[in-house]
Amino acid sequence: MNDQQLSLFELQRQVKGSLEDTFTMPVWVKAEISEMTVNRSGHCYLDLIETESGTDTVIARCRATIWSYTFRMLKPYFETTSGQAFSEGLKVLLQAKVEYHEVFGFSLNIRDIDPVYTLGDLARQRREIIRKLQDDGVFEMNKELELPMVPQRIAIISSPTAAGLQDFLDQLHNNPHQFVFYTKLFQAVMQGNEAPRSIMNALDLIYEYEEMFDTVVIIRGGGAQIDLACFDQYELAFTVAQFPLPVITGIGHDKDDTVIDMVAHTRMKTPTAVAEFLISGALQFSQQLNELENHFIELVNNQLDENRNRLSDAADQLKQLVNGMIVTQQNRLDIARIQLKNRSEAFLKEQQSELKQLTIGARNKTNRFVILQNHLLDQSGNKLNFAFHKQMLKCKNQLNQIQNLTKIRSTETIRTEKKNLNSIQEKLRLVDPQNILKRGYSLTMLNGKIVKSVNQIKKDDLLETRLSDGIVESKVEGKSLPQTPSERGGLKTGS
Amino acid sequence: MAQWNKARTRNTKLVTLKNMATKKATYKEAITEIEEILEKIENEELDVDELSDQVTRVSTLITICKDKLHKTEAEVEKILKEMNQ
Repeated sequence: MNDQQLSLFELQRQVKGSLEDTFTMPVWVKAEISEMTVNRSGHCYLDLIETESGTDTVIARCRATIWSYTFRMLKPYFETTSGQAFSEGLKVLLQAKVEYHEVFGFSLNIRDIDPVYTLGDLARQRREIIRKLQDDGVFEMNKELELPMVPQRIAIISSPTAAGLQDFLDQLHNNPHQFVFYTKLFQAVMQGNEAPRSIMNALDLIYEYEEMFDTVVIIRGGGAQIDLACFDQYELAFTVAQFPLPVITGIGHDKDDTVIDMVAHTRMKTPTAVAEFLISGALQFSQQLNELENHFIELVNNQLDENRNRLSDAADQLKQLVNGMIVTQQNRLDIARIQLKNRSEAFLKEQQSELKQLTIGARNKTNRFVILQNHLLDQSGNKLNFAFHKQMLKCKNQLNQIQNLTKIRSTETIRTEKKNLNSIQEKLRLVDPQNILKRGYSLTMLNGKIVKSVNQIKKDDLLETRLSDGIVESKVEGKSLPQTPSERGGLKTGS
Repeated sequence: MAQWNKARTRNTKLVTLKNMATKKATYKEAITEIEEILEKIENEELDVDELSDQVTRVSTLITICKDKLHKTEAEVEKILKEMNQ
């Protein structure tokens, strides 16, 4: 029996038969879609794998087919229920009939899909991604950025052909408030496995012009509500979360948020909603500006009114005060004037009367003085007169007396003097030098002068000697001093 | 993060050019300044002489903001157009 030889076909038939015996009914199989192709007739060919958890090592692999009539029903059912495109990379729960073909070998023919399994798996994956982002500390990072009051410069990441992009641009640029928006499209693939890488490249480019933009808008839209798995990708989410500009999403789906939506600064449902959001930001600012402007005008007007009122109040007050002061001063002036008039009149009168009195007094006094003086003068004159007459009389008497006395005396004196004269005449005759000379005396003269002393004479002097009858001239031979002075006394006594 | 840093060093030259046409904080600065001035007026911290200057300042700021909101800046458009994709 060991020698029994089977043809290949017979062997395959036996394998096929035993498989058909074992798997009489379809089974539910969990697997990951590794590759997938749909041919022109609508049949879908899949490559299913199972990987070892944690290592990603493929531990099982097989082919599977979904015939076109089944695929036409299953695909939309799966996609509408799960919100995911039926595509490679998905983990799926399939109802399959095990088949074995003599030529093509083992394969599974898919009859049904349970999208709930895929959903659960995706949800688990998402939870893992979110947890990882949170563990990395980047999950809230983009939300912490400050969106400018008016996000006016907008970097758009989208597919240039997307209908949502055109809606977005129309809405934004034709806004009814005529706000200016600057937009720049950074193209990216927005679905499928290429999408995350493509979007990251676009972000890279935007980063180069970071200073130019207020915000990044990631929009996709208008397309089917499927194939959003690319927006749950970890690297992309990590990049968006850390992007230095606030990111606004409008990915265009109304199911659960994708991870990108979660980490983005602001999540809007559709591109149009993003446009509305941006316009409303500008509108809000514009309204705030108008309110501030109105408030400002009001405040300034109030302040000006207030100041104006204060000024006019002050002016009124000032006017009143000044008027009051003027009146007061005028009154004081009037009083002063009246007082001045009264006082000056009184003063004048007083002065006048005083002056009059003084004048009268002065006149009286002067008169009295003059009278007194006159009187005194008269008295003095009288006295003087009297004294004068008296003195005159006295003098006259005295003069008369003197006259008489003189008369008497002079007669007497003349007689006496006559007698004296006679005696003197006698004496004179006695002392006449001629007579003396006759009596024998002589006069000795030197140079016309009488010589009275021997000392007047020197030897050889020529002397004249007068005698009573002539003159003798002689020359001195010598002299001698007398013995006694009695000679001269004798002469005197002799005259 | 490393990729951003790399990109930053690559583009230092561009930054100066871009800074000339961009001033993101203008709106906020303007609003803040206007609000500060308003507060001063409300608190009557300004006398009439200062008020005049501040009125000029506020209206300038408001005009700048309104112009920015409604008038296209050619410079910005030019830079955006010249960006390589």
